[in-house]
Amino acid sequence: MIPTPTDLVVRNARVLDPGAGLDGVMDVRLAEGEIAEVGENLRGTRELDADGLHLFPGFVDVHAHWRTPGREDEETIESGSASAAAGGFTGVVMMPNTDPIVDSPVIVSGLARKIERESRVRARISAALHVGLKGERLTEMRLLKEAGAFCVSDDGLGTASAGVLRNGMTYARSAGLPLILHCEDHTLATGVVHDGVAASLAGIPGSPASAEDVATATALILAAETGARTHITHVSTALSAALVAFFKDRADVTADTTPHHLTLTDDLISTLEGLYRVNPPLRPDADRDGVGEALRAGVLDFVATDHAPHASEEKELPLEEAAPGFLGHETAFAALHTELVLAGKITLPRLIEAMSCAPGRWMGEGGSLAVGEPADLTLVDLSERWTVDSGTMISRSSNSPYLGRTLTGRVVGTIVGGELVHDRTGAQLGTRG
Amino acid sequence: MGIRSFLSLEHTSRNELREILDLARAHEEGSVEGTLTGKTVCLAFFESSTRTAVSFELAARRCGADVISLSDKGSAISKGESLVDTVVTLDSLGADAIVLRHPAAGSASLASRHTAAPVVNAGDGCGQHPTQALLDLYALSKALGGFDELSGRRVAIIGDVLHSRVARSVIPAFTKAGMEISLVAPRTLLPRDAGAWGLPVLPSVDEAIDRGAEVLYTLRLQRERMTGARIPSVGEYARFYGVARRHLRGGALVMHPGPVNRGVEIEGDVVLDAASLVPNQVAAGVPVRSAVLTVATGAAQRVAA
Repeated sequence: MIPTPTDLVVRNARVLDPGAGLDGVMDVRLAEGEIAEVGENLRGTRELDADGLHLFPGFVDVHAHWRTPGREDEETIESGSASAAAGGFTGVVMMPNTDPIVDSPVIVSGLARKIERESRVRARISAALHVGLKGERLTEMRLLKEAGAFCVSDDGLGTASAGVLRNGMTYARSAGLPLILHCEDHTLATGVVHDGVAASLAGIPGSPASAEDVATATALILAAETGARTHITHVSTALSAALVAFFKDRADVTADTTPHHLTLTDDLISTLEGLYRVNPPLRPDADRDGVGEALRAGVLDFVATDHAPHASEEKELPLEEAAPGFLGHETAFAALHTELVLAGKITLPRLIEAMSCAPGRWMGEGGSLAVGEPADLTLVDLSERWTVDSGTMISRSSNSPYLGRTLTGRVVGTIVGGELVHDRTGAQLGTRG
Repeated sequence: MGIRSFLSLEHTSRNELREILDLARAHEEGSVEGTLTGKTVCLAFFESSTRTAVSFELAARRCGADVISLSDKGSAISKGESLVDTVVTLDSLGADAIVLRHPAAGSASLASRHTAAPVVNAGDGCGQHPTQALLDLYALSKALGGFDELSGRRVAIIGDVLHSRVARSVIPAFTKAGMEISLVAPRTLLPRDAGAWGLPVLPSVDEAIDRGAEVLYTLRLQRERMTGARIPSVGEYARFYGVARRHLRGGALVMHPGPVNRGVEIEGDVVLDAASLVPNQVAAGVPVRSAVLTVATGAAQRVAA
């Protein structure tokens, strides 16, 4: 095959894509934005030596808060997408709980234009499920879809009324939009951390696990009844994971959990630091292990980061006053590789399935190195040990729960549509023409 | 000659439909007269109505009947008398037919079990509205050149099927006339098991037109259902489920049981367009209801049983 002028060959990478059945040292040729060829001794007009690096399908994150519009001091589409690229993500879904809420077609089309100009990765828009995320009136989902919305969500707040949720799911099904649901019952979630030993000892108001479990059960029952394509995001309890398992073949349902719920627990509450406030809250060991096992078994389909930047003045506060949320993009792979893969809890192929293949299938784009798929991929040095440092964060914010921790495995390059959008070391990835 | 109630059209045969429409035409042409002379027709309206009540009353009077009219204002109904007690009272007064409108589905059938007189269902809750479906068939047959011309025609029934007694009578009536029906509605305005009808569900009027719909039968959207719970906004509803002028280019006809929310179910200036059968539907009310009352009281020879 004659190389096209714009092609790029990534040479000698350790290629791993469980979805496409690839595992071995190979070359990957990218042309015209697609995976053109995977094999040995491929040549191209540009070549990139990836000897010693792992090459994965680009990671896909269906849950990110890029704070645009409204809090561009915390994150912009430019900075959020750069942060995503630095974490190896090539596809992202932006959540609608911004200021203003993404609940009208004009806001969606404005965001779509901004993404076109600023985003380094493939960014999709989740519009709000109800107007103002108030849980009352449904949004104009069909017009939102025409304006460029990919799905609808109640993220950040949930939907208090099961009746509204049921109508919303039914209408979303008619509109051909999947839903991403934040399951939280506010009559139960009255605290700021998990209602467990750490909260009891520290005297911090707790929200019980039932706040999530009750709402998850409601959402799953309604998903089964309405037939809506439903994704339950940030599952953080063992019971919610078990509920998802029960409904797996009874509803069109998928679910994710986050890197922090897979790796951290509520013992961090004893620090009393506002940094560690997040929603759903960090849970005890049994829940962390339960969601980990559910991810391993495929009950939880994939990982999503819930990347939630906050300005320092919103985090350097007592836990009860701090804003909930953690940065996620830049540490996701390293944290999971360190805490799950190297600890022997899940295999590297399962992690790649959970970060690339499965969320890519959910998005309908990306997450695969099969020929003809978008040329979205991630290059990782699995042996590099690095310490998470607020000074080197690409995000505009620095509220990572892993600050100060040393992790193993680092994203060194990210390619979207055949173009290098993140190149951590420059020299190492310098392409030879 | 036996009497018969009109509770629904589910058990009405194709021949019977044709017979009623033929009789309606005879009434319209004035070739039958005084079929109800000496009879008493009672109108019991437990729910407000304008066109249906007026057209039944006119129909009864034109056929020579005496008419007793009870409505929810200023009658025993407004004093809280129960449906059954009202029906029993009308029966005792010697009613020859009871025309009933009630807000609850199944009321007409309940009433019919408490009177020897035939009951004509003038709309019960979200249940049935058989005379509406008959007058729709009448208006449409006339526009298309006869009852047999309905066979094989494609009709889209558009909008709030869930809360519509009209849809529940029109669907079996149009089916018996041989029409090919599709439903156009968001799932929030369809009964959960709408699939039981075995009809395709389409996402927009545009799609119905693309698939060859020749008749666009729009249903009324109640004001309280226009924003929020089941549909997001009038704007989005009108965009996908409203009939607009562009839909008429290929010669499609527009129908609506009334009253129309202009700009919602049908674009404002389309309501009285030449392609609109809305005025024809209203005009069909009196002859069709005359025929129904005549058949109900046994005053007309019936072809089919």
